[in-house]
Order: sequence, then C-alpha cells, then structure tokens
Amino acid sequence: MKISQDWIRDYVAVDLPKAELVDRLTMIGWVPESVEEIGGDLVLDLETYANRPDALGHLGVAREIGALLGLPLLEKDWPLVELAEETSCVADVQIAAEALCPRYCGLVVRGVPVGPSPAWLARRLEAVGLRPINAVVDVSNYVLFATGQPIHTFDLGRIGGGCIVVRKAKRGETLVDLDGRTLELRPDMLVIADETRPVALAGVIGGQASGVGASTRDVFIESAAFDPVSIRQTAKTLGLSTDASYRFERGADIGFAPQGALMAASLLCAMGGRATRGLIDRYPRPAKPRRVRLRLRRVAELLGVAVAESFVVDVLERLGFRLEAAGAHAWRVEVPTFRVDISREADLIEEIARFYGYDRIPSQVTPVDSFPTAVNRRRERLDRIRATLLAQGFDEVINWSFADPEREAAAAGGRTPIAIQNPISNRASLMRTTLLPGLVENAAWNLNRGLEGVHVFEAGNVYEWAGETAHREDLHLGVLSTGLVPAAGLTTPAAETGFEVVKGAVEAVFEALRFDPVGFRKAGHPSFEAGLTLAVLVKGQEVGTLGRLRRDFAASGSVERDVYAAEIDLSALFEKTPRPFQYQPVPKLPGVVRDLSFLLDASRTYGEIVQVLGRLNQPLLEGFELIDRFEGRPLPEGRVSLTVRLRFRHAQRTLVADEVDRIVQEIVAQLKAGLGIQLREGPH
Amino acid sequence: MASLKDRVDGLRKEFDAAAPRAVDARSLEDLRTAFLGRKRGHITLLFEELKSAPPEEKREAGRLVNELKNDVAGRLEALAAELRTAAGRPGRAVDLTLPGRKRYVGAAHPLTLFEQEIERIFLAMGFAIEDGPEIETDYYNFEALNFPPHHPARDKWDTLFIKGDLLLRTHTSPVQVRVMERTKPPIRIICPGRVFRRETPDPTHLPMFMQVEGLVIDEGVTFAHLKGTLEFFLRALFGEKVKVRFRPSFFPFTEPSAEVDIECLVCSGRDPACRVCGGTGWKEILGSGMVDPQVLKNVNIDPEKYSGWAFGLGIDRTAMLALGIPEMRYFYENDLRFLRQFVTK
Repeated sequence: MKISQDWIRDYVAVDLPKAELVDRLTMIGWVPESVEEIGGDLVLDLETYANRPDALGHLGVAREIGALLGLPLLEKDWPLVELAEETSCVADVQIAAEALCPRYCGLVVRGVPVGPSPAWLARRLEAVGLRPINAVVDVSNYVLFATGQPIHTFDLGRIGGGCIVVRKAKRGETLVDLDGRTLELRPDMLVIADETRPVALAGVIGGQASGVGASTRDVFIESAAFDPVSIRQTAKTLGLSTDASYRFERGADIGFAPQGALMAASLLCAMGGRATRGLIDRYPRPAKPRRVRLRLRRVAELLGVAVAESFVVDVLERLGFRLEAAGAHAWRVEVPTFRVDISREADLIEEIARFYGYDRIPSQVTPVDSFPTAVNRRRERLDRIRATLLAQGFDEVINWSFADPEREAAAAGGRTPIAIQNPISNRASLMRTTLLPGLVENAAWNLNRGLEGVHVFEAGNVYEWAGETAHREDLHLGVLSTGLVPAAGLTTPAAETGFEVVKGAVEAVFEALRFDPVGFRKAGHPSFEAGLTLAVLVKGQEVGTLGRLRRDFAASGSVERDVYAAEIDLSALFEKTPRPFQYQPVPKLPGVVRDLSFLLDASRTYGEIVQVLGRLNQPLLEGFELIDRFEGRPLPEGRVSLTVRLRFRHAQRTLVADEVDRIVQEIVAQLKAGLGIQLREGPH
Repeated sequence: MASLKDRVDGLRKEFDAAAPRAVDARSLEDLRTAFLGRKRGHITLLFEELKSAPPEEKREAGRLVNELKNDVAGRLEALAAELRTAAGRPGRAVDLTLPGRKRYVGAAHPLTLFEQEIERIFLAMGFAIEDGPEIETDYYNFEALNFPPHHPARDKWDTLFIKGDLLLRTHTSPVQVRVMERTKPPIRIICPGRVFRRETPDPTHLPMFMQVEGLVIDEGVTFAHLKGTLEFFLRALFGEKVKVRFRPSFFPFTEPSAEVDIECLVCSGRDPACRVCGGTGWKEILGSGMVDPQVLKNVNIDPEKYSGWAFGLGIDRTAMLALGIPEMRYFYENDLRFLRQFVTK
C-alpha cells in the first residue's frame, strides 16, 4: 500500500533521510517495495500483511514509526459545523443482522460541496495512486487511506424514508452497483437497505441508485464494522474486491467507527457542508477489551535473549497497549481495538522482538543432542535408482504433475484421473496417471532441437481416484529411450537404441535394489505395441510394464521414431522385501571357460536356451551368458548364430579338461535334442 | 612332401607378416594362439596331420615342422622380451592428442542436485528427511497451520482445488504437521518436495515448484537458534562470506515470523538498477519463524513445555539465484542441453 511521508507527518513528526527511513521500516517488517519522490514528498509502497489491517492507512503506519522512534502520535481535531436539526429526525438506522454488523455509525451532512476537492486533498490522493473524482467521493477515500476505516456516502435523498436497515439479502434481490454491474444477491449476503430494497452491498460496494451524483445535496455518511468472514465470502462469491472489502475482510477497528464518520463529516463541513446534530451509533453489544497475559520469562524463552523489562513496557505502551502488573515480571496486557491480530502471549512477544530488533538477537546453532532419527528408506532407494540409471547413461527429467486430458487419453492407462477444479489451463487440468506422456514430450522437445537420441527417466508421483472419494498417490519410475545411443569412443559407433536398452536399465535398477531376479512375462498394455510388451515381475507380482510404445501414442506426442519405455510402480515395489544380502567368498580355485557357438532356428528364443541350461541342474556349471548374436549373410536364411559363454568351477579342486568336455557334450546334446541347434565351432 | 614344405614356408611368411602387428601383450597372445594354440594353432594342426603321413616322409616332415615350431616359439619369446622392456619396439605411432574414450553418464536434474546439496547440510546437522502426500486436505494444508477458514491470509497461498476438502498442497508444511502428530519431540526434520499454487506463469512463478521446509521442536528452542542455524545453512550454501539478515514478517503458522534475506550475489547492493535485487542490495531467500503456539496445540504438543522454529525455501528460485538461471520454466522444459550442464557444477 502506498504511503506518503507528507501525509504521515500529520500523525507523527518523522524526519529521517530516505535511506534510513526505508531501512528502519524494513527492519520492523514494513518493506517498501518501491520508493518514489513526488514533488518533494516521498511515497513508499509498503508490503501489507493479512493480519495487520490497522496498518492499511497512514495512521497505523505512523503509529509504528512513532513506536520505533519514540515520537508521540499527534492528535488532530475534527470540528463540525452543526445544524440545529437532529440526525435521528432525518435518518434512522436499524441493525437486523447483529452478528454480521456489530457496530454502525452514521451522520448526515447537508449542502455538500459540488465539484472537485481542494487541491491539498486531491494531491494527497494522487500521491497514493488514487484518481480524485469529486469532493464527496474523495473525502470517503481520504478517510479510508488516512485511517484504514472504510466510509460509504449515500445520497440521502435517494434512501427511501431516510431509513437504513442492515440486513441479509432476500432471495431474488439484485443490486446495480456503482460500476453498473447487476449483482445477484444471495440470502447469506449482508446488505444496506432502505425501506424497500438494498441500496448497497455492505462493506463491499455501494449501489448506483443511492450513489452520490452531480445533483446530490445531502449525504448520509456510513462508518461501520462488519464481520470479516461474511464480507470475504460475499466479495469472493461475486468476484469483487474493493478497497473497503479488502479492509473489512481483514478486520476493521470497531472502536474507530464513530471517529471515521466524524472525520468525513468534518472534512465536508470544511468545504461548506453542515452536519446534523448527534452521531447515530448503533453498537448493541460493545466488545470487552481483550486482555493477554505476558510473562517476561517467556520473552527470553522464545527469543533467546533477555530483553529489559523497561523496554517491554515502553514499546508496548507506545504501540497502544495498556499494561497492568499481574505478579512479578508479568502483566495483563489490554489490546487496543485496532490490533485485531493480537490475542496470545506469542503475538506480544513478536511485537517486542520487532522493535527490539531481529539483528540484536544473538545467533546460536540449534544444539545437536543426538537422538535417533529415522532413516528415510524411500529416499535411499530413490537415490540408488537415480545413481544406477545415470550410470546407464539416462538423464534425469522432472515433468509437471499436471496432465493434458487429450494426451492422458492417448496413454489410455485405464485409471480414473483426478481433475483440478480451478486449473491454470485446460491443458493442465488433470493430475497425471502415468509418467509416459511427459517422457514422450521430453523426447519430442529434444529430437526437435537436433538431438539424435533421448534417454531419460523420471521418478515422481502419479494420481488416480480409487473409488468415489478415495484417491491414490503412487511413486512411479518412468524410463524412455529413443534414437541413437551415445558412442563410446571411435571404435563403438553410436547405434539405434532398442528394447534391450530399456530392459537393461530396468534389470540394473532391480539388481541395485536387490529385487532381482526380475521376471518378465509377455503382456498387453494399451500404451505399448502388441507383441513387444513385457510385464515386469517381482516374486510373481506385476510391478510394471516395459516395451515399445505404440506408434500412435508416440506420434500423439509428435515423436515419429521407435520409442522404448518402461514404467514401474515403485510404491508397490518398495512394499516388497528385497533379497537379503549374502556375502559370497571369492573362489580360490581357477574356473574353466568354454564358448559355444551354434546356429539356431530364428523362431527359437534365447529364453529357451536359458530354460534348457537351467534344467540341467549341473553343479559344476557356475554360470553362463550370451556374448554374441548374429544373423544375416553368410548365415542361411531363417537361422541365427549365438555364442554362449559357459563358466565351470569346482569349489574344492581344479577342474580337469576331460570332465568339462563331458559336461559340454551333455549340454550340446540337450540343446540339440531340445532346440535343434547346430554347432558352428568348438569341441565336437 | 613338397606341399608340406610349401605350407611350412607359407606359415613362416605369414608369421613374418603378422609379427609386427604384435605390439602388446594381447596381440602377442593372439599371435601365439594362432600358430601354437593347443587345439587349433596352425602348427599344432600340422603336427596332427603328420600322424597320418606315410612313415618314409614322417621323419623329414617332422624335422621341418619342428624347425618351424622352434623358430616361431623363439621369435615369440624374443617379441615378448622386447615388449617387457620399457621402450618396446617402435610400433604404430600413437596420436596422443586423440580424445579420451569416455562412457556417457547421465545427468541428474539440477533441481535434484540442488536439493541434495541442501539436504546434505541439514543431514550433517542431525536433521531427518520426511515425505508426505502431494494431494492434501484443507486441514493439513491450512487449518492445522492456523489458517482459519475464509481468512485472507490464504490469498498468498493461492490454491488448486480437487474436490471436497482435497487440494494440491501449497507448501510442504502439511508434512510437518503429520510428523508432529505421530512423533514426540524432539523433532528435527526437513521436508523437500513438489508444491502447487495457482500462479500465472512468469519468469519466477510457476504452478508447480519444489520446496524444502524444516522444523525443530524441543525444550528450550529459541529464536536465537533459528538465526544461528539458518545463518549456518545459508553460509554453507552460498559461501562463508555471504551476509544474512532477518526481518519481521507475517505467516499464520509462526510467531514471531522472519523473512530472511541474503546480500545480492549479483551487485552486492552497488547497482541501483540491479535486475536481481532491485537496487536494495538484498534478496529474499526464505521465510521462517517460531512455530505458532496454536500449531503446537493442534498436534497436542504443549507450547508451555516445547517450542520450535521452522523455515521454508523455494528450491527453484534459490537454485536460479545460485546458478544464475533467468527463467524458472527452464527446469521443467527438460531440454537436455540445459540439464546436462549442471553435472559439473
């Protein structure tokens, strides 16, 4: 909110150089977001706080400055030029909704000035960014920006019967507001009405019909207090926010209402108006002053510094609190009505701290008594996954948790997505149910910018409805690979990625977490190409999917290349118990290695070889792996050449060549019988 | 017979041709295997053939092959000896300026790296890391944190709503509430994670970003501890010399509250038109304060016995400041040319 130094000086005799004023205000919490010099005046745009409506006017800011500098608050008189006529003979006020309007003050001014405000007043309004309109409207604004008390001025002649009723709106009532909008009123909205109809939306905006115009001679000045929640709900419902509603929804000073009316009337009288006699002040249940206990001991306990008792008393009194001793080094503190934010001891201690100076409070590191802290297993595992995939050459991405309904439909995960009620845009109106569309988008973005390959992963949450009101939020891992895999030096050129790149990444992750052996089973999934899809299994339970993305799905994200991807449900995976780690002694005796190269019908799979070798139950066969696979010329059509490396070892003795040869012959025989292999080279 | 002699000569020539290529232990071993391999070495196979040669030729043939074998074995031994000496033979010239061979290692996301940097500092101070749901209830996101319903304080935490009282958490403070509900003090945690606000995108605002919050609850915890710990943290993150200042602010969940500024890393207050600090010389970096007594009451912790402090910091904006990144959206565009720069930071 803009504050003029010149205006502030009506209330406190502040005289500080600009830089010092800015710094001192900042250090008690009032940060000038901008500082302008306008014709010898200094205008500060102060950051505001939702709990400090008292500082939404010059008076409140002056009070803070006075407390800071030890300067007294200057009192100003607001004299009236009064008529003999009693206010109550001209206007009547009834509060029919006391809970929403605890206090209502009013006064009539006759013969109000027509035309512009005096120059001094117009200049002040302009300094704080307001446009002067006419003397009557400007006076309302002046009081509001001077004191924070919103004022509304009605054309008395247009209030039926001079009768003001503060009540809830009736069903079906409407109000054309000052800006000409027709507002549909709801029964929970508070209105100011005359005999027959609403003339203003209480605390928010006035009505056009009862507004002050060029022909206005007599006005009714309203200065009231309204229920903050009601004002806020009304303003929110109607999508309105006015200077008045902004202050009322934060809490106006109920003690200031009469003075606000008098101040407005006084200003109008100074311009030629005449006030009726006797302020109407409807305040059926005057609020009891709030009292808060304050103990000096607690100040030190919370701030970590012993603040002198005299300082505590002094600063609180300067801020308008009244202190009454209540035991040794303790007080009952009466809170002034304008401080709606103070109700607990901690609130008072904050006031003491602000003026004591945060910079004067010493710095201490929180003592590190050791106590058991839980290790975050989930994060540990995520770190391990991340390290594994980075080592596999995948880059990490972070995508929006939001999803585009169209793209989400293309992913066709079969989950019920969670919609956002008030999204930023339609394209971000759902919560994602899968990580895949985001990853495809990453692929498109990077391929379109000239990268030859994109190999990325993301670990993040996906969301879905699990019933009418229950929802799920699960941690997923998404992996995607498309285009060329980076070359490792000159000898191994870059090659197109494939199924096995993503499969390898998944295997590596599961091994790193000791969830191996990971199982794979042919499966179907709407996002993946039929026949090129595997379910990923741990202990027989499906925890993810892996394969080539359907072309139309990839294309929906504008990727025309083959895209291989996997999505793993880490929440489900992490519920499983990993394989316990078991130390294996390093073998002392040498093993024997034999490579077996053979031709196989191309319709056969490596998996079948694994099965045959697995069934052998040969204790000396320590392990085996595929080291070469080749098809095409010069091999005959429909044949594929595989080389399998067999590793043999005996734990207690060195193996003899002959016994290994015998086992190899047995293996060859089994493979021949089972799969019809034909040896290429190696032992006969 | 002549054919065998030719073959022996042929093999000798072949060996001569191949020998210069044996420039290291591996190629030498390959050469040895090719000629003397136990099963399929050329010379081994010749001996096999000899077995079936007519007896009258066997003697002469055996002599020739043996000679070849001894020659080859001798030459291999000599080559091996040469390789063992430091200088070796003048082999192929090696272009030492060729680029080294590296395996491609992926790049962690800069926000992850930055978050981990923050986590490491707090882990060293004995903090634990806690997680919580991103879809939250109004209670955990607001009410338990002393935001009354319909309070204008909620405006600063502009919210994306789901349905009923479900919403996307606007800060990770609900994690603090959940931890306080299930844990007895002492508590010392940080909670990093995604948060969501209904912000119109601009260079420093996005509807989703990363935040880390911290919480300490114990007997005798004071504002002085808040200051000391956060100063230590910010110096660890931005360098020993960075100036830090605490100034009063307002948050519903802390009392007193403090906004923490660090001196402008770009201009140090010397540029009145500085784009980063606006000429103030200070850059707001985090919000903090003493945990509001109402928040403690809401989770059944006695505010007369325990006190605590908390802080919250935007990881994205802090990373932007530390790494000189002008636009927050770069973090979520996932342009690999951007992401891969931060590995070496």
